[in-house]
Amino acid sequence: MTPVLRTAGLTKRYRRRPALTDVNLTIPSGRIAGLVGPNGAGKSTLLNLAAGLLTPTAGTIEVLGRRPGGDAGHLAAVGFVAQDTPVYSGLSVADHLRLGARLNPSWDERLAQRRLAQVGLNPAQKAGQLSGGQRAQLALALAAAKRPRLLIFDEPVAALDPLARRGFLQSLMEFVAELEISVILSSHLLGDLERVCDHLVVLAASRVQVAGDVEDLLAAHYRLVGARGDFATLPDGVQVVQAEHTARQRTLIVRDTTGTLVPAHPDAERIGLEDMVLAYLTRAGNPSAGSHTELLLEAQP
Amino acid sequence: MIWLTWRQFRGQAVVALAALAVLTAYLVFLGVRLRDAYEQHVECAGCTLSAARQALENGYATQVTLAGLLILVAPAVIGAFWGAPLIARELETGTYRLVWNQSVTRVRWLAVKLGVVVAAAVAVTGALSLLLTWAASPYDTLFGHRFEPLLFPARNVAPLGYALFAVVAGVAIGLLARRTVVAMAITLAVFTALQILMPAVVRPHLQPPVTEVVLFRSEAAEGIGITEEGHVSVQGYSVPGAWMLTFTGDLRDAAGELVSRDDVDRCFTGIYEQDVACLDAMNLHYTAEYQPADRYWTFQWLESGIYVLLAGLVAGFTFWRIRRSLN
Repeated sequence: MTPVLRTAGLTKRYRRRPALTDVNLTIPSGRIAGLVGPNGAGKSTLLNLAAGLLTPTAGTIEVLGRRPGGDAGHLAAVGFVAQDTPVYSGLSVADHLRLGARLNPSWDERLAQRRLAQVGLNPAQKAGQLSGGQRAQLALALAAAKRPRLLIFDEPVAALDPLARRGFLQSLMEFVAELEISVILSSHLLGDLERVCDHLVVLAASRVQVAGDVEDLLAAHYRLVGARGDFATLPDGVQVVQAEHTARQRTLIVRDTTGTLVPAHPDAERIGLEDMVLAYLTRAGNPSAGSHTELLLEAQP
Repeated sequence: MIWLTWRQFRGQAVVALAALAVLTAYLVFLGVRLRDAYEQHVECAGCTLSAARQALENGYATQVTLAGLLILVAPAVIGAFWGAPLIARELETGTYRLVWNQSVTRVRWLAVKLGVVVAAAVAVTGALSLLLTWAASPYDTLFGHRFEPLLFPARNVAPLGYALFAVVAGVAIGLLARRTVVAMAITLAVFTALQILMPAVVRPHLQPPVTEVVLFRSEAAEGIGITEEGHVSVQGYSVPGAWMLTFTGDLRDAAGELVSRDDVDRCFTGIYEQDVACLDAMNLHYTAEYQPADRYWTFQWLESGIYVLLAGLVAGFTFWRIRRSLN
């Protein structure tokens, strides 16, 4: 199967400021891929590049094996819900469905109607009067009813309260199960993503820190705790992500994809996604690493 | 796509139709009144042309001028209110990220939207221009000033070119400025600058002007004056229906010599009819530079053509730019 997203040396700069630097990423088909990272890490830039709304400064990006947004056929295959879920405030909910029906040959009117009924949207209401959660549901219905092969969401729940957030992710999961599509969604909150994603990309300081299927990532990351001076040598192929020292103690977060760590250090313990992501964000040397901790913890139920 | 274009444009279209209806009623009324006045003052026994001119000028000059100004302003307003927000508003509110991710390419989206709005703009401006051309024709015929800077661009086909250009320019400026109000202001400024530049710098040279030595006749001039060098010059002369590019010129006698004050002094007795007859008999002449009356339609088409060409260039840029994605 063609990967839904493949980039090579992808770089995007706004004037001088780098938004993405040398991103080499492959997201396989059939995944619900989460893109996590602090605000300003480059998530929106990557997703807007994938939607064809931006062009790369350097490198290449392919979505479903082709240049994004090049022709109507490719546009039909990719559904994109932008950050803050923009809608036409002067048009009614029904007008938006009509827009979708007129502009998409593969439009699934029954699906759209059913979704609106399920989330209780009044077709006659102006989109400008909808709450953030309702707007997100409308945008989701619009993007899904065009029956794309890939759905891309840029921070779909950032502006929603916890209840609306849960409702939206619930809807999203229903769609994915029903339509058998690939999904890429971004959030600065790991808590939003870890419940729904089976593939994770950690983006910080304009670079990809780590990417892979959640299962593989969980199987490859360990914490080593020992006295100061321990772990001077580690088996080949084991990579230190983060090291912390106190007066007497040394704590390492390591990545091992070769399976040589546990035989050498039987007390190495598996870590959760949150600790893993935190370790990568800290390593990215982001000066505001402390606030990431806060943001990531905020999402915990 | 046409449905969406109409859905987003219908509010503006209704306003335009209402304005068009009111103006049509007014222009028809003005046309009928002018025809009555023309009949009364021109096509009557014993009426003189100058008396008729005086009467129509007193009665209608303001109305005809204001109607002309309206038609001059219409393309600028349309460009600012229809053209500038077309892309700028989508960029400003972020809805471009919604609409450009439907199964319609940006190029097609722009082609349909631009096509519909340009057609509406040209139709509205064209209707107004042709109505005014009809309504004011008795007045224009009487005065023969069709080349005047405020008349030429408000009659016949020239306004159609302005409307086309104003909308296309507004759209392009909106794409670059990305802010609706800023784009509207820049569109108005650019269009106004062009409308000043065109008659002042470009239009007089669309074809090489005719330079001709003409005989001084007092009825074709407003008067004579004395220049700083002491020469006698003609003031405000005109060739019937032509666009005069110079309004004064030194008078020369039959031998080609410049005329001095002393030469003409003997004509001034204080009795007007005698004085002008004396001046006319002196066989004076001067060099006139002008665009003749029969070039009017050439100039109308050239002017429209220039704006159509400009609009084409700007539209080409806009399509190229919108296709290249936004950065």
